[in-house]
Formats: sequence, structure tokens, C-alpha cells
Amino acid sequence: MVNATKGLFISCDIPMAQFIINYNASLPASQKFIIRALDNTHLFVQPHAAEMIRSAISQFREQNSYEKPA
Amino acid sequence: MGFGEKGQPSKRMRPSSKVVLPICNSCVLSLSLILIEEFVPCVRIFQEEYRYSIADDDDAPFGEEAEDAYRDGEGKKDFSSLELKPDHTNRPLWACADGRIFLETFSPLYKQAYDFLIAIAEPVCRPESMHEYNLTPHSLYAAVSVGLETETIVAVLNKLSKTKLPKEMIDFIHASTSNYGKVKLVLKKNRYFVESPFPEVLKKLLRDEVMSRARIAFEANGADGFTIGKTAGEAASSHSELLNGTELAAAAEEKETHSFEIDPSQVENVKQRCLPNALNYPMMEEYDFRNDTVNPDLEVELKPHAQPRPYQEKSLSKMFGNGRARSGIIVLPCGAGKSLVGVSAACRIRKSCLCLATNAVSVDQWAFQFKLWSTIKDEQICRFTSDSKERFRGNAGVVVATYNMVAFGGKRSEESEKIIEEIRNREWGLLLMDEVHVVPAHMFRKVISLTKSHCKLGLTATLVREDERITDLNFLIGPKLYEANWLDLVKGGFIANVQCAEVWCPMTKEFFAEYLKKENSKKKQALYVMNPNKFRACEFLIRFHEQQRGDKIIVFADNLFALTEYALKLRKPMIYGATSHIERTKILQAFKTSRDVNTIFLSKVGDNSIDIPEANVIIQISSHAGSRRQEAQRLGRILRAKGKPQDRMAGGKEEYNAFFYSLVSTDTQEMYYSTKRQQFLIDQGYSFKVITSLPPPDSGADLSFYHLNEQLALLGKVLSAGDDLVGLEQLEEDADDIALYKARRYTGSMGAMSGSNGMVYMEYSTGKKSMGQAKPKPKDPSKRHYLFKKRFT
Repeated sequence: MVNATKGLFISCDIPMAQFIINYNASLPASQKFIIRALDNTHLFVQPHAAEMIRSAISQFREQNSYEKPA
Repeated sequence: MGFGEKGQPSKRMRPSSKVVLPICNSCVLSLSLILIEEFVPCVRIFQEEYRYSIADDDDAPFGEEAEDAYRDGEGKKDFSSLELKPDHTNRPLWACADGRIFLETFSPLYKQAYDFLIAIAEPVCRPESMHEYNLTPHSLYAAVSVGLETETIVAVLNKLSKTKLPKEMIDFIHASTSNYGKVKLVLKKNRYFVESPFPEVLKKLLRDEVMSRARIAFEANGADGFTIGKTAGEAASSHSELLNGTELAAAAEEKETHSFEIDPSQVENVKQRCLPNALNYPMMEEYDFRNDTVNPDLEVELKPHAQPRPYQEKSLSKMFGNGRARSGIIVLPCGAGKSLVGVSAACRIRKSCLCLATNAVSVDQWAFQFKLWSTIKDEQICRFTSDSKERFRGNAGVVVATYNMVAFGGKRSEESEKIIEEIRNREWGLLLMDEVHVVPAHMFRKVISLTKSHCKLGLTATLVREDERITDLNFLIGPKLYEANWLDLVKGGFIANVQCAEVWCPMTKEFFAEYLKKENSKKKQALYVMNPNKFRACEFLIRFHEQQRGDKIIVFADNLFALTEYALKLRKPMIYGATSHIERTKILQAFKTSRDVNTIFLSKVGDNSIDIPEANVIIQISSHAGSRRQEAQRLGRILRAKGKPQDRMAGGKEEYNAFFYSLVSTDTQEMYYSTKRQQFLIDQGYSFKVITSLPPPDSGADLSFYHLNEQLALLGKVLSAGDDLVGLEQLEEDADDIALYKARRYTGSMGAMSGSNGMVYMEYSTGKKSMGQAKPKPKDPSKRHYLFKKRFT
């Protein structure tokens, strides 16, 4: 019996995939969004999660980049 | 995963503007890709990506009107009201009303303008074509102290500026300089005099209670009771060519000075009283060493082969401008020959000299430099460190010591107590301070109050600290007398031309997964430093430089855990805090002479003043958070010029002869720190090239940690190491750069905390002792517990 699930296919580099997996793991069970981690660089997630992941990543990157104070 | 944004300018130039002024401090360096083909053969295979390249638009059309030079908006200033002079193309600089000055380095007047600007303003950013300077009260104070007068500053500035000087700037210069340099504190024949060419200023000072109490009164000679003397005007400086005849004549004229004597014991109070927050007549200190007959002369001269380079000459001329010695700081890049400047200064003053350095190795080096450049005899120079306590014979000499030894407050051995007493009681002609940026740290400030010196000279390469205490040096030592431009020295072939590169190493999957876990927050640093990809990149670079180019390599790691891991795995010698002086010297000696030792690993003990002229490659695998000073100091280890001079000059055989690699694990905190650390060097005009694919993908198992199980074993090692082991190394002398940590952290083991480190809780032995020896208090047998009563009957 084949089940079809609508979702979002994410392709990214290895560390970012780890970041998303870690982010997913930190959420309570009801909010987990990863349907399946396909391999090191590809994830299949629920369609509504895109914005959330984006903002989490941009926040993470913000922390790691330095702006010279004017 | 690109980090392209981080290098982007926060302020953008409007492309349509007629006048384009690069605002260097906000890194407006266009992101255009310029590929320099001649790097080194190997790097061609790296994917190259330039983050910064210097703006190419210096030949942008300078418009007829400066009308829309700037646009109002966030962070942008409108200078359109400035009036361009008709012959502005011949003039080298732009002066803006907010105190900023931009200098075109391609102007024919660049050299003169640079010498002038460096005297009056603080360099902010100095890339290749356009420099940015900032007028600050401190920089103007420095200008006055090297003998420039308010009117001269305004006149020369006006002459050089493309625009009419903004009124705000003139007012600012007047306000900042009106009181500076009016009063001097002079030590003559060991008596302190307050000296000024303006009797009315002295009168004003004497109206103050503290001042009048400190004064030693004489029978009135002259109407005001001031001693009147004549001093030769400022020796014609290089700026004189910019002045016309009448102005020159005024400057060279002899000046009358008035002075009154003050009580030596009150000098500190008087100095304090004159600071801007009280009387606002900051005092300049000068030492009239030629007329000092009380302190014995030291018979030394520079050896004939010691030929100071032009910039060394210039910095010395700032110090000895009017035949007296001024206190102040000279900033020269590492490897540019600071020691020769220091030795020359000592030879010119020819009095006893106390030379302070940061560690024992550099003490040895200073002693060596003194012997190398001057005719000093062996018995006239002595070293004072924890290992060698020598005393000089005769009544004048040079003592080289560490800051620690002099500032140390605890109990000393009898021998060193004697020496320190001698240092305290002696009157030093010159106090020479190496790596002066460490001085503001609390402990080193003590040194200045402990030692009596007529003149203080501070030397450093990096006048930056992450805490804002660098300005303290202004009153602790004196103003900045001279600062060299790094790129000019590179062009002149005086220091090595360094290729700086940042190597981006992606985290491996397993390491990054651990890095992200909350429970590993204390191990983050260890995890990104021990990133196997970084290790492989490091190994690749070491191999490449050792085998292909025959270079000498230093690898820096702040993290002790990483240092030992790397060094053991790669079988290279290492030096860190606990390495003994003898072993250090041995390793350094082997590195210098042996063909087999081409790479050494250093912890941050190697940052400062370990002189390793042979090294020309630095690989940095971990660093002290965002410390700009550390980055620059490390770069300094390879700045000493190498190879033949003609090859080094622009257009020579080798464009770069030294390499500075900083290995960074992407997507981690290290990216943040590394960008911050580079700021100082970028401000000096250096650019960092980003290398993204290293080691090359085809390098397989010949580098370590190729297989997953090896990586996992390493990961296990990192995770199982105690938190204290993977932390930063803390050196005793490291009180600088509180960049990240609010409280100081000490490395120590859990064992030490619980007392198992030597301090064994020996219950049995104390018990035995008290049993064996006389019992302290024979107890009343009636009070004894009934269980024990039987035993003691």
C-alpha cells in the first residue's frame, strides 16, 4: 500500500542538515517537522516548516558573523 | 553555506555621486573579484574567493563641485557645504568637519602629508590608495608634544586640504591644543621645574593651592620670580618645507621660557592637578639629558654597522626633536626593528637604562640586541629574571628585566630583593618598555610608579586592546610619537610581504552534531578546533610548505588540548606555558638551525616577542576569541624581511615571501571571532584571501583522519576530556584582552579543587603524630565517654 505525503525537500550542506536535525530535536514532539532525513545533505520536511527553518538558520548565522561597529 | 554578507559594507557609496571618498573604516572595499594569478603554484588549485579587495575607484572623477559628495541618510554625512579650492587637484587631502581626514596616497605630496598627518591625527584605516585619519584630542596632544603649534597645524592642514578647512575643525584644533604643551615638566640637574613660554600660564597655575604649595620659592629674579631661560626653537622639522618663509622664521626663532621649581616629592600631585579634569594644562615631560651632571654617564655608542632605517631615524627624531628626550610611544610593526630604535635611544641618552620586556626569552633577546648594536661592555649590561639574577658593576649600566619581576608584589628571595631595591632607588635615564600595550593591565602599571625614570619610551606594534584602556597610556607614558605605515614598509622592502589567508574548513557531520548539542556548550571550542577537516588542512599546509618550498612553519594553538593532540599526532615539537626556559631555548635553537625541525607548535606564549626570524609561515588553528592584538602579534612573527631586497620590492621575483593562514571551522563561533580579529590588519591595509577547498579533494588517506572511525575516535577523545582540559590556556602574565570572559578563568583539575593534588588529607599521619608526641590536652578522665573509659584506665 503506497502512502503519499506532501512535503518539502531540502537540500543543503552537511553542517546545515545537522543544524536542522538538531533544531527539530529541540522542539516538543507535536512540533517536530522532519518527516525523514534522507541522507547527509537531504531532508524531507513538512511543508509549513520552511519559514521557521529559515529564520532559525538566519538567527544562527547572525550569531556567527561579525559586523564592524561604525 | 555562504557567508558572503559578512564582508559587505554597512555603508554603501552612491554610485552616481560626483566625489567618491572611500570610507575605509566601514570596509567599503568593493567586492569585485580580482584574481591575482601569481600567488603560489599550489594555491591555483584552491578555489579562490576574495572577500576584500581594495576599492579601485581612486581615479573616479573628482567633480567640479563637491555638491553631492555625500547623501544624507543613515550613517552618512553631508559635506557638500565645503568649498573646493580651485587648485584642489594638487592637494592631497580631504578634511571633513567631523574631524575625519582622507589622504590620497597617490598624490605627489603624499610623503610630506603623511608625515604631517601621522603627527596630528590617529590613523583609522590605511589601505593602499586612500587613508583615513581622525583628529582626536589625544592625537593633537601628541602633535603639540612633538613641537607642533596650533597655528602651524591649522596652516599646514589648510595648505594640504582640497577644501577650505571647515570652521568646526579649526575650532576643534584650537580647543584641543590651546592648553596642551603650554606647560612642561623638566628634570634638570635632578630638580623638577615647571616650565612654560607663557608667564601668565604659570601665574594661573600658581594661583592653585596644590601648585603653590609644591613650589620651591627663590629670591625673586625677574619681576614674576620666574627663572627665564632660552631654549633653541624646534629643530627644523620635515614640515617646514610646507611652510613659507615667514612662518619658518617664526618657528626657528629662539624662545624665552619661564620656569619655577617644584618639590620632587610633590611631582605626582602636580602632574595629577594639571590633568584636563582639574587645571587642564597637561604637562609634557622632557629630560634634558645633556645637562644632567648628577647621574653618571654610560659610555656607549652605536656601532658603525647599526644603520637606522629612514623610519627608525624619523621616529627617533620625534623623540629627540629639540635636544631633549621626550616620553612617548613609538609604534612600529613587528620585525621592523623596534629594538634598534630602543638601543639607539639608550645610546643617545647615555644614562642608566632600565629595559622591560614581557618574558625571559625576550629579555635574553634584548640583552643580545644591546650587545649587537652598541659598544656596551658585558659587565655594563645585566639581566634580571627569575632564572638569572645579575648585577652590573660600575655606577651606570643597562638592566633588562621582565615586567613580572619588577611588578611582583609577593615575597622574593633575598638576592632579588636586593636587586629590586637597587632598581627602585636608582634614577634611571631611560625606561624602555617593550610591548607597551600590556602596560595598562593593572599589574604592570605598578612598574611605572615603582621606578624613577627621567624619560619613558614605549615600543609596540599593536596599540589596540579589547578593553578600552589603551588611552591610559597617554598619561602613563606619554603620547604616541610615531606610527609607521605597514604597507609603506612592505613596499620599501623593510618587512616581509605577507599573504594572509583564511582557510574555511567545513565541520564534519559528527563534530557539528555534537557542537550543536546544548550539553556540550563548554566544549564548543574544543570541537571546532579539533574538527578533522581542519586537522587535515593543517597537515596539508605543513606538508606543502615543508616539502615544496622548504619553509619554516609555526603553528599557533591557544587551546592546550588541541596543541598537544596536533603536535603528538604530527610528531612535531611544541612549546607552551609549562615548558621550561631551557627546553624552550633548545627547541627554538633546533628550529633555527636544524634542517629536520621545520615546524614547531606554539601556544600563546609564542605570541609576543619570541624572535624567530627564520619562520615565514604561520598556521593558526585556534586563537584567543576576538583579540585583534593577538592576530597582529602573531603575524608579526613572520614580518621580518627575508630574501634578497630586490626580490622583495614591488615587481621583484616573489610577490609574497611569507604566509599567514588562519584555519577556521565554518558555521561556528570561530567565524565571528576570526572576522573580528582581522580588523586590525585590515585597517593596516592587509587583505585576507579566503580559501575554501583545502585540503584538495583528491588527497585521500595520506592525510590523517580520513576514515570515519578515526574521526569518531577523535571525537570520543574530545568528548571524554574534562572541561578543564579543553579550555583555554591561562598564563600568569596574561591580563590583557578581556575580550570574552567577564570573570577570569583558571585552568585547574578537579583533583586540585578537591585537594588530591599533593595536598593529601593525611588523617592517619596526623593522628599518629599526635599520638606519638605529647598529647595536646590530657582530658579529664571523668568526662570521657563511657565506651572509651575502659581503654584509658
